[in-house]
Amino acid sequence: MATPSDPREKEKNGSGPLAIVEDATCVACGCLCDDIELTVSEGRIVEARNACPIGRAWFLADRGLGTRPPATIEGRPADPEEALDRAAGILAGARAPVVLGLTATSVEAQAAAVALADRIGAVIDPSHAAEALPRLLATARVGRVSASLGEVKNRADVVVFWGVDPVTTHPRHWERYSVEPRGRFVPDGRSGRVVLVADAARTSTAERADHVLTFAADRQLETLQAIRSLVLGLELDPGAVAASTGLDLEALRSWAGWLARARYGAFFFGTGLGGTSSVEAALLLVRDLNAKARFVALTMGGPGNPAGAEAALAWQAGYPVGVDFAPGYPRSLPGETSAASRLERGEADAALIVAEDPEPGLTEKARRRLREISRIVVAPDATARDATVALASATYGIHAGGTVVRSDGVMLPLRPALGSRLPSEREWLERIRTRLEALAR
Amino acid sequence: MSLLRIAGGRVIDPANGVDEVRDVWIAGGRVVAAPGDPGAKADRTIDAGGDVVMPGGVDVHCHIAGPKVNAARALRPEEGREAGFVRRSGALRSGTLGSVPSTYATGYKYAGLGYTTAVDAAVPPLGARHVHHELRDTPVIDAAFLALMGNNHYVMDRVAAGEWDRLRDYVAWLLGATGAFGVKVVNPGGVERWKQGKGDVATLDDEVPGFGVTPREILTALARAVDELALPHPIHVHGLNLGLPGNAETMLETLRALDGHRAHMAHVQFHSYGGHPGDLRRFDSRVAPLAEYVNEHPELTVDVGQVLFGETTSMTADGPVGQYLHTVTGRKWLSHDVELETGCGIVPITYEEKNAVHALQWAIGLEWFLRVEDPWRVALSTDHPNGGSFLAYPEIIALLMDRGLRAEVLARLPARVRARSGLGELSREYSLSEIAVVTRAGPARMLGLAAKGHLGPGADADVAIYTPDDDRRRMFALPRYVLKGGEVVIDGGEVRSSPRGTTFRVAPEYDREVVGSIRDWFERDGSIRFANFELGEEELGGTVLERRPDSPQEHKGHGGKHREDSS
Repeated sequence: MATPSDPREKEKNGSGPLAIVEDATCVACGCLCDDIELTVSEGRIVEARNACPIGRAWFLADRGLGTRPPATIEGRPADPEEALDRAAGILAGARAPVVLGLTATSVEAQAAAVALADRIGAVIDPSHAAEALPRLLATARVGRVSASLGEVKNRADVVVFWGVDPVTTHPRHWERYSVEPRGRFVPDGRSGRVVLVADAARTSTAERADHVLTFAADRQLETLQAIRSLVLGLELDPGAVAASTGLDLEALRSWAGWLARARYGAFFFGTGLGGTSSVEAALLLVRDLNAKARFVALTMGGPGNPAGAEAALAWQAGYPVGVDFAPGYPRSLPGETSAASRLERGEADAALIVAEDPEPGLTEKARRRLREISRIVVAPDATARDATVALASATYGIHAGGTVVRSDGVMLPLRPALGSRLPSEREWLERIRTRLEALAR
Repeated sequence: MSLLRIAGGRVIDPANGVDEVRDVWIAGGRVVAAPGDPGAKADRTIDAGGDVVMPGGVDVHCHIAGPKVNAARALRPEEGREAGFVRRSGALRSGTLGSVPSTYATGYKYAGLGYTTAVDAAVPPLGARHVHHELRDTPVIDAAFLALMGNNHYVMDRVAAGEWDRLRDYVAWLLGATGAFGVKVVNPGGVERWKQGKGDVATLDDEVPGFGVTPREILTALARAVDELALPHPIHVHGLNLGLPGNAETMLETLRALDGHRAHMAHVQFHSYGGHPGDLRRFDSRVAPLAEYVNEHPELTVDVGQVLFGETTSMTADGPVGQYLHTVTGRKWLSHDVELETGCGIVPITYEEKNAVHALQWAIGLEWFLRVEDPWRVALSTDHPNGGSFLAYPEIIALLMDRGLRAEVLARLPARVRARSGLGELSREYSLSEIAVVTRAGPARMLGLAAKGHLGPGADADVAIYTPDDDRRRMFALPRYVLKGGEVVIDGGEVRSSPRGTTFRVAPEYDREVVGSIRDWFERDGSIRFANFELGEEELGGTVLERRPDSPQEHKGHGGKHREDSS
């Protein structure tokens, strides 16, 4: 079971057998590049061909799995079976459990976590929920005209990066999807595309753009609305535009012109767009641009598998984030059913943390509560974290397989290059659920 | 092997010419012949005396799983909040309802109607992996899905080059690679043209820019490939100009273009309108000539796509239709272009009795049921959730069985409906046996699912037991028992067990030589690696290969490398 999926053994410079895993998917950023060739030697990944520096760091990291116990209770090494019993006991006895983390794992584990949350009546909320909410709410209000990344590659003659800096955060986005590839209808690649960057700061991406718009970070809504008005052919007063956006009307008019001249435009945005109103303004701008041509809005996504968490929650529970199973059915109200609010109100009495540490996404008040209650951590580094019960898992994409979802909804298989003595997060979660079912009988 | 007997019910099994009081014997998940020994004892007996016993329902065309359906769930949280829910109970999962229920709710609710098989009719090949994930989480019912191919670049390039063998090989490869059951064509060429910003195609002979092919050529080439591969289900067609006034002419032209090929025409209600595009004033029903054509061509089958009044969600691979509906209704619009193949449009829609167009759509759907003479060639569907939820099937059944009920509704609709649809003159009433045909026996036969839709020996023991009731809606909404694979899943309206369903797929033979050419194209134009497109063996776990009894299909492994387990 622990062998790499389909390694090709090969001799290299007489230094011993190397195993090669081709077409591996990298989860280090939101690109989810699936063309990585991994070389394994003596139980470690020693080379990650095609990977960017972020990806190489991910694949080549020393995870030190051999030195830590597979399970701990109250910080002490424990028999995994006892740890599972304790975890199940905590969850069975909890009145208001929360399930957190969830973005740095496979869809299979995410689906298992939703099943468990349903079973124990928990609030389940992926750690990226707060930053995803403006996008989700705006989409639920007005919809979204979007596309898979291959459409951008094949069709887009105008590419907008709004408040995102892929050259820094998604290093291969530019070469694989959005700017440089030669596509069926963009045979000249980079020179066949107009690249527009709008940002509050001068980014690395801006350095490589054809045109740059520098906006005030707190005026994104106004800036987007002004561009939208110009796209719709409305006359604007230069003084009013300057007052609301701090920008020159003619500069905005040029931008509106580039957008309107697109045959197929792609508008990439990220979490820096601000609140729901700004995201909605961007989505409406893109929607309006479809009156005469095609234009699509896409997110940069990631890192890891947040899109998978949203997908698994939506298909099993009907909502993509912030689901409360406490009433015996799924309920979701933004701000009301988030894990953070349950923690902040001091209601949460136990936490199941899957994969990444959720603390960076929480308020100080929520963090304080989280540290007070029983915490079950299921993660590759669980036993190195502060937990009541820690269950160390195989790392997805390195030691564990499964599926991940790209920001455009495309699902990709993982091809773990290394074996592991540890169960995957999915396996741990299913074993907890099996115990809970036994307790209920 | 444990023996189950459903005793003394009126068994309506039109595939086997049965409509009589008799027992149904079940062992090992299948229907078996009655034991020769008259004194044979069953391990369990369900007394169905006075009840009607039918095969489990089969839905030939719905949208229940995958990226499009899931996008609709996220798009419409307000519906989940208002439409109610399924409560967690014991080992059963909770879920949301509304026009796009969550996966567990979908499985339970289909079963709750006595339906045990459902086919998702429109899956982008790139979304197949996602669909298998959702179907694994859709309990009780068996399922299958159709792969979209009508705007596929490789298909259009082969058609343009006249490479018929290679096209057929590609179709076979794509079905096997994605675990699909059949071939779906949606607005052939039109979605591609629209994605290019050049607007939809209007006729079968418009050129698809950049490809040098026409909708007619794509459609007929794929129909031929499906016939040559002898797939269990014929080509499944959603034609041009869906929903547009005047589209009945296009529909007729499409039927003529398919001449000689087997074909299933999807949601024909949405393709049967008179009038002129852009002018709703002359909108009327043109079912009569279309149904007449279908009546004369036994190689054709249809499902209706009945519209019901109320709130629902329109979802389609026909991208331009999404934009059209958004423009007409002004409501939120989710659109998603999928590389190398398709589009996707999702728009909430409310069908209103007082809206003459909506009311005509309701009448036009019913006209189809009543004008196709052979019930074996018309399947009950709402194109769930497009015309309405599958939960409305009992209401449609009631309307088909009772002309008085139809007249009652018709009387309160706008006068224009009575003038522009022939529904009022159609006095036909469906018998129970005909209902069994359009809801199970017929769709199973259309799909080529030999073990579904009947209760002869060897059939899957999927059984619905209904208590006769003058209120047919109540009768079909609340089966007394439903069995899936011989297991009681519904008892007294409650879900009793939740077995995992099977996903049916096909994997026809093809010349392996084609793969290199597919790979070259895919690596050039796709955004993922070719090796990561094909589903691995483990990803197809729980699926079952369906063969046409007379065809020599054989499964070939895909060399998949996916796995979840480690350690």
